[in-house]
Amino acid sequence: MKINNLLAVAAIAASALFFSACSRQVTRVSTDETIDISGSWNNSDSRMVAQDITNQVLNAPWISDYATAHPGKKPTVVVGLVTNKSHEHIEAETFIKDVESAFVNTQRVRLVQGGKKREELRAEKADQQTNASVSTMKKFGLENGADYIMQGSINSIVDSHKRQKVVYYQVNLELTDIQTNEVVWIGEKKIAKSVKN
Amino acid sequence: MKRNLIILSTILTTGLFSGSAFAQQASLLPDQNPRYQESERRYALVADSLNRQQGTTVQNTYKAYDWYTAREERRQQNRQWRNTYGGYYNYTPTWGLYGGYSSYYPFYSSLAITVMAMATVGVAAAVVGV
Repeated sequence: MKINNLLAVAAIAASALFFSACSRQVTRVSTDETIDISGSWNNSDSRMVAQDITNQVLNAPWISDYATAHPGKKPTVVVGLVTNKSHEHIEAETFIKDVESAFVNTQRVRLVQGGKKREELRAEKADQQTNASVSTMKKFGLENGADYIMQGSINSIVDSHKRQKVVYYQVNLELTDIQTNEVVWIGEKKIAKSVKN
Repeated sequence: MKRNLIILSTILTTGLFSGSAFAQQASLLPDQNPRYQESERRYALVADSLNRQQGTTVQNTYKAYDWYTAREERRQQNRQWRNTYGGYYNYTPTWGLYGGYSSYYPFYSSLAITVMAMATVGVAAAVVGV
């Protein structure tokens, strides 16, 4: 009888252990929390870049210089190409969107669409020329021309030996005057990580 | 007579062009780009194809590396290979020269070597131009 009881308890314990090992646990965490798992580029890196670059771009003198040269006007920016030359897949949009959002929310810089979204806008306008009523139809040739273009690059250097690795990331964003090709601002964020396996 | 005809046609052509240009200038809104019709014509041709995706989500995704999933996939691949041919997948990092499925049985190994040798001879022949 005692042996049977012991066997039953052992079987229950074993099955509980088995199911707990198989089940997957998912918990929501704060997006501000830094959780490093593999050492690769993650949301914390993106957040750090977004915060630093946004501060740099909004506090640089190019905005006041523009306001002095063009009283009563705000500079217009279009976001161009960001080249990822690092060893990892890094989506620049995760921090570029934060910078764009700061431009729009602070109302100090005007933002115009570029790339595929601009193509879509023009296509919609073309569609309206033959389908929309005259009073609501939007016209060609009245877009806001950008004063500056924002371009960037992501670079990395990996130094590894045996189980140790140091990864260095450098994110650069720059603003160039479209009329004169003059670079008016360069922002950078450097991140170094040490990973030990 | 011939000269008169040439003069008359020149005057007519010039008048036509300047008239159309004047008409376009006259219809411009304040600050409107005078070459807006070029863009309008260009986008009128592609509007349908560009607008087709409106209201949808373009799935421009990528497969992120996941150690656990990669291991599961590798095991699944090995299982499949074992069930079909009775072998294992060789993960030796040889930059694609010899990596691939290996067999426990000499028949498949020799077959693989033969195929590899034939392919090498074929490539060499193509390079030499035989």
